[in-house]
Amino acid sequence: MADLHIDGVVKSFGETQVLKGISLDIRHGEFIALVGPSGCGKSTLLRIIAGLESQSAGDIVIAGRSVAGVRAADRNLSMVFQSYALYPHLSVADNIAVPLRMRTMGAVQRLPLVGRWMPGAAERNREIDAEVRKAASTLEIETLLDRKPGQLSGGQRQRVALGRALVRDPAAFLLDEPLSNLDAKLRVQTRGEIAELHRRLGATFIYVTHDQVEAMTMSSRIAVMMEGQILQCDAPDLVYEDPEDIRVAEFIGSPKINILPAELNGGSLRVLDRDIARLTRVADQPGIRLGLRPEALRLSGADSVLTGVVAHHENLGSEVFAQIEVPGLSERVVLRADPSARRRLGLGATVGLDFDIGDALLFDTSGKRLRPVIEAARAAHQVA
Amino acid sequence: MAVTEIPVAAPAARSVEASQRRTGWFLTAPAITLMGLILLGPVLVALVLSFTDYALGNSGFNWVGLENYEKLFTRSTYEKMFVATFTYVVTVVPLSVGLGLGAALLITSVGRFRDLYKTIYFLPVMATLLAMAIAWEFMLHPTIGMVNRTIEMGCGTFLEAIWPFMAQGCEGGFPLWLGDQRYAIWVVCFVGIWQGFGFNMVLYLAGLTSVHRELYHAAEMDGARSAWERFRLVTWPALGPTTVFVVTISCIRAFQVFDTIEAFWPQGAGPNKSAYVMMFAIFEKGVQQNLIGIGSAITVVFLGFVMFLTLIQRWLVERKVHYG
Ligand SMILES: Nc1ncnc2c1ncn2[C@@H]1O[C@H](COP(=O)(O)OP(=O)(O)OP(=O)(O)O)[C@@H](O)[C@H]1O
Ligand SMILES: [Mg+2]
Repeated sequence: MADLHIDGVVKSFGETQVLKGISLDIRHGEFIALVGPSGCGKSTLLRIIAGLESQSAGDIVIAGRSVAGVRAADRNLSMVFQSYALYPHLSVADNIAVPLRMRTMGAVQRLPLVGRWMPGAAERNREIDAEVRKAASTLEIETLLDRKPGQLSGGQRQRVALGRALVRDPAAFLLDEPLSNLDAKLRVQTRGEIAELHRRLGATFIYVTHDQVEAMTMSSRIAVMMEGQILQCDAPDLVYEDPEDIRVAEFIGSPKINILPAELNGGSLRVLDRDIARLTRVADQPGIRLGLRPEALRLSGADSVLTGVVAHHENLGSEVFAQIEVPGLSERVVLRADPSARRRLGLGATVGLDFDIGDALLFDTSGKRLRPVIEAARAAHQVA
Repeated sequence: MAVTEIPVAAPAARSVEASQRRTGWFLTAPAITLMGLILLGPVLVALVLSFTDYALGNSGFNWVGLENYEKLFTRSTYEKMFVATFTYVVTVVPLSVGLGLGAALLITSVGRFRDLYKTIYFLPVMATLLAMAIAWEFMLHPTIGMVNRTIEMGCGTFLEAIWPFMAQGCEGGFPLWLGDQRYAIWVVCFVGIWQGFGFNMVLYLAGLTSVHRELYHAAEMDGARSAWERFRLVTWPALGPTTVFVVTISCIRAFQVFDTIEAFWPQGAGPNKSAYVMMFAIFEKGVQQNLIGIGSAITVVFLGFVMFLTLIQRWLVERKVHYG
């Protein structure tokens, strides 16, 4: 069992605090996707877990043991670097074999020239060779085994880096954007391979990615990180449907969630100067915001909450996204509709939009989620 | 430039190619002329003169065939020359390269005073060797020199019991260093190393900055625990091109050693010609004794060595240590 606890980790580079108290409990065998905008500290966190960088404060506990003072090589973790970090003088096969050689062969067996004549070395070399071939065939790089990294494309290098991390059987895998440079087909395929490997090994994975599809489909939990803090760490569907913070709601989901300014006055929720619901158990405040996923909106007739003009639309075949310019809102509202509604969404058409208040996500002034009890929705709608 | 031969080339294409070729020659002409005048010309002259008995001031000369070369490879003076030169090269090159690398690694690993150390080690490179040689001459003076007086302090201590050199010295006096043919060439080697390794260190420091930092992290994750393993896996391979360059430069510089010997022994190149290196021989024969023929022959042999080293370097650079 290799549970992994990250306990209040703080990291400062000089004056700037990059990680501001990260805490995360990861159970053995979990697949955690770490997502967040560029520069929020994902790689830094990964490197601290790996032991390549020391934290300014806080602790990392692996399998019940604090690893403070344990060097990276002894933490038994495996890592894919964002920059690949392949050894330029070694062939692809040798690159993948390095962790196996380093960890399973004695110093004498690894000596150049004489090493291979040491007892047990020949047999071990054959085993390593077989393992390297297996990893290479999984990642479709068998034909490249004799090349040097300098002779590979970015995506091929990335697969070699992945191969080097995956040949081992460590306590946890730390993958820093391992698929960012692959083409769409290979990405889907490798995604499947990694998920399969995760199931087979049952090892812990921490997976940094910018790709929401990867995060949503592969992980048991998604940790959304921003400005050096983890805003939320929950199962993918929860992160999408029930975000704790407006920044999480805005970050997860594509197209982005629609944010409407709203007002809460005497328990009545007003959007664009219309009462739309009565709420209780929440204090009055002026600048609250209402989040609506594109699929929470629906086309409606007259007397809708929002009325606007179609400014742009994208037909994806199975669904249609329309951007609608609503007077009084600074940003366009994005609607997801059925292809059957295509005709009503011609450019320049005036459309009305409606939604169930139950589908709306409410956030307070500071961006925290509000969970009021909805007493009455607008007359035209049912109480959610 | 790769020129692919097309079987049926249109005449127009051929004339374009020809004019390009002409332009190419035209543009490189100044460089070629200069190289011929100041580089190849003198070498050819030396080569021609090495087959003659020419002396400066003579109106003519006689062809002597290979006589000069025969002398070079049979006379005992020249045997001493080759022995001294190779002793110097074989000692100074590995040690100054090794020390240069060691110093560069140490300097990059210390956090503070980095620039101070760099300056200290680089000082001997910048100093005039002639002046430095005089300083060394004082230090190595048999009786009042700092070196022998420092060693003398070991007399009467346990060192005398465990180190035969000490025991002998305390009884019969310490070496004359510059006056003893057993030590003379080694003193020259020592000064050469002391003076040269700072230069190699600077080259290695430059080489080390190009090593990708993340590779050390990858090596650490792959289980390279000791500094030696990381050195073998990351640093040494990355320094391959630098090493080839440093070794070649050091070899050529070692073949060229002259000023130390000229400063220590202006007349005789060491006791019993024990430090009679090639450059000194060229100077003595060609300039001091006006034997241009034999001087040219030594020069040609010298150029042969340098050429050979350069070719090895080119070969290594092109095939082995180039990672693309
Ligand atoms: N060695 C360093 N010295 C100073 N600042 C650093 C250092 N390493 C990283 N940073 C800063 O820390 C912040 C987080 O960097 P990090 O590499 O962790 O981002 P990231 O989340 O991985 O981004 P990306 O998605 O672009 O890879 C950045 O603002 C970066 O400038
Ligand atoms: Mg990163």
